[in-house]
Amino acid sequence: MDTQSVANEVIKSTREKQAFSIIALIRNEYFLYLVSSAAFVLLWHWVAKEQILGKSLATPYDVVKELGRLMTIKLAGKNLFGHAWASTQRILIGFSLAAVVAIPLGLFMALNRTVNAIVKPVFDLFKPMPPIAWISIAILWFGIGEPSKVFIIVIGTFVPCLLNSYNGIRLIEPELYDVIRSLGGNRRHEILQVSFPAAFPAIFAGLQISLSIAWTCVLAAELVSARSGLGWIIVQGMKLTKPELVIGGMLIIALVAWLTTLLVSGLERVLCPWKRHIEGL
Amino acid sequence: MAYEEVKVQTPLYLKILPVLSICAFFGSWEFIVKTGIVPSTMLAAPSEVIKLFIVKLTDPNPDGAVLSQHAWISLKEAGIGYLLSLLVGLPLGLTMGWFTTVRGLFRPVFELIRPIPPIAWIPLCIFWFGIGLWGKVFIIWIAGIVPCVINAWVGVGMTNPTLIQMARTYGASDWQIFTKICVPSALPMVFGALQIALAYCWTNLVGAELLAADQGLGFLISMGRRLALPQMVVLGMVTVGIGGAVIGVLIDAVEKRLLAGIRR
Amino acid sequence: MEKQKNVHNKIVCTDIGKTFIQKGTQQVHVLEKISLEVHDNEFLVILGPGQCGKSTLLRIIAGLETPTEGQAFLDGKLITGPGPDRGLVFQSYMLFAWRTVMGNVEMGPKLNGLPKKECREIAKHYIDLVGLQGFEKHYPHQLSGGMKQRVGIARAYANKPQVMLLDEPFGQLDAQTRLFMEKETERIWQTEKRTVVFVTNNIDEALILGDRIATMTGKLPGKMGPVYKVDFERPREPTDMEFLKLRHQITEASELVL
Repeated sequence: MDTQSVANEVIKSTREKQAFSIIALIRNEYFLYLVSSAAFVLLWHWVAKEQILGKSLATPYDVVKELGRLMTIKLAGKNLFGHAWASTQRILIGFSLAAVVAIPLGLFMALNRTVNAIVKPVFDLFKPMPPIAWISIAILWFGIGEPSKVFIIVIGTFVPCLLNSYNGIRLIEPELYDVIRSLGGNRRHEILQVSFPAAFPAIFAGLQISLSIAWTCVLAAELVSARSGLGWIIVQGMKLTKPELVIGGMLIIALVAWLTTLLVSGLERVLCPWKRHIEGL
Repeated sequence: MAYEEVKVQTPLYLKILPVLSICAFFGSWEFIVKTGIVPSTMLAAPSEVIKLFIVKLTDPNPDGAVLSQHAWISLKEAGIGYLLSLLVGLPLGLTMGWFTTVRGLFRPVFELIRPIPPIAWIPLCIFWFGIGLWGKVFIIWIAGIVPCVINAWVGVGMTNPTLIQMARTYGASDWQIFTKICVPSALPMVFGALQIALAYCWTNLVGAELLAADQGLGFLISMGRRLALPQMVVLGMVTVGIGGAVIGVLIDAVEKRLLAGIRR
Repeated sequence: MEKQKNVHNKIVCTDIGKTFIQKGTQQVHVLEKISLEVHDNEFLVILGPGQCGKSTLLRIIAGLETPTEGQAFLDGKLITGPGPDRGLVFQSYMLFAWRTVMGNVEMGPKLNGLPKKECREIAKHYIDLVGLQGFEKHYPHQLSGGMKQRVGIARAYANKPQVMLLDEPFGQLDAQTRLFMEKETERIWQTEKRTVVFVTNNIDEALILGDRIATMTGKLPGKMGPVYKVDFERPREPTDMEFLKLRHQITEASELVL
């Protein structure tokens, strides 16, 4: 996230013109990144080695070794990629199901007052309920198989998808509709040419939020009950008291979650090339 | 346009429909359970939930605590974790937005932690803190700190650069610019963070309690499942939902009052 | 106000009044007894200070608002809603951010169901006319303010309206660009004559562009002030004797009304 103010940039560029000096190096952001990353790993190593937190922390080296081991051996019939894919697959299914229903519904609610009056109150009932609270119900309904996990993800991602497409339309400048009307367009044109495209960036913002919620949901579901997936790996680590497995699992989760986020923003860049300058953030 | 044409009174049917729709929702819920379309082992009728609610106000059985105690435990955990995350996250985010050194030192670690869902910390928490209060506080703290840092950081980044340059020409020091210009400019974003972080904390609290707890609303929900008592599950969910809604409304009110001075 | 008998009146407004209801029951009286005639192929400027209801008047002519009193006619027909016979240009451009310059300009023909190829050709013609050739594939956010408003003008023109309605189109531009755009507007108008109603709060802009200048009074509700005929040669320079004389006359008079 590059959000330095212009004033900061000015300072930076004048600094670069100065001759090389130790102080400038120490204050250089990227150099500091390097230093702090190294310090973090070293500190972690030291804490784990000296067993300051007892045996509950593994050294970075152990974690890497464990990850290497997981690449080749199979846990419950799947190697690391298999488990990562199991989690990702659940997210993709649940996420697409929710998006396919919630986005059109949100658009519909924003465009039609009657639909809004019927759906909004019920939706508002469900909105403040954390998706994780649904896990128990999901297990009661669907057992501990795939459907219950997908269900949780659908529930969790439904709310931001719907809210964002709803608000995306409601925040459109009304004068844009005037343009269409004065060019001779009718209500259908207003919706197709203005409402939908203008709501697009908001919908994508909703997808991004949904995605991070989806990861939380899938992990929670897998922690409660699963036979595969990254959450299951962590649970295994906990049950076997193998912190290296737990931390390795967490790192892989971070990696995969980050990759899926990249995927959505890449998709957005392709699908709405005009958006880059609107947000500016 | 300086003048807004206000729609004349919302039509009557638009006022009645929401009420009808809520009634229809609860009515059909009650109906499908009572007539056995959905077996009562899977879903409890609203009337059952209300009955259990009244019972749970005084009776600690079968899960070991009355409802208010569960709610209090959850509130305490969420409250402590939330406050701690504000206490750490906001100063960190604000300074990361302005001081290159702070950003350089903390950004790599932050970027590493950011994509990990807080729920994933649960096993480590159990290793470190057991299943007591502080394990959950830690999860909630992790959950709250990410939006705090991001919003404060972005807020500082949105400071009008002209203001900063103006302050520089007056000879203000970096620290003065930070406290007098950047922090006030970031305030609206910071208030946004208060709300996002709270919602986030509340969600993850439930997750933490589902997995590692012996009291709290999340525990109530998971006990309901283990004892196959759907009315207890629904009661827990409803209480959590109401809690979330109430907190949301409170924060909204506080924010409006605080921001009144800023937004004129 | 002298009247030539043989001039055809394109737009006629008779005793228009407009009252908005603000939140609650508060009523805001914006326009009172506005009567106005716009001749065929005439460049009429409505000049008035900020917040005098001149934009509302324009929106009534555009059909986007209905007057609470009085009526507006186009070619003798009552205006009941917006239509492709009137092209609108907005102060804040109101371009479709998700469409390229070409996409914006061809919107009008497209909405009116012309075949794709024809839309292209029309759009191309007007993009050239406003001097944006080479920018067809750009998105609005890649353009400067002046260029954005050129797109806005081209978009309105491309729909071949009989009347162009411009609502302080250059209000957001800097003085340099503004002057340049005024010259451009004059050039475009002279290439393809239309009836134009141009709303502005800038007296120089009014004098450079207008065939006639209708003034409006300052406080709400807005009322019609005197109408001036600007009959000296185009292109006009703000340093011409006649220009300064008329400018002085208008300022004097409108000071009286304010």
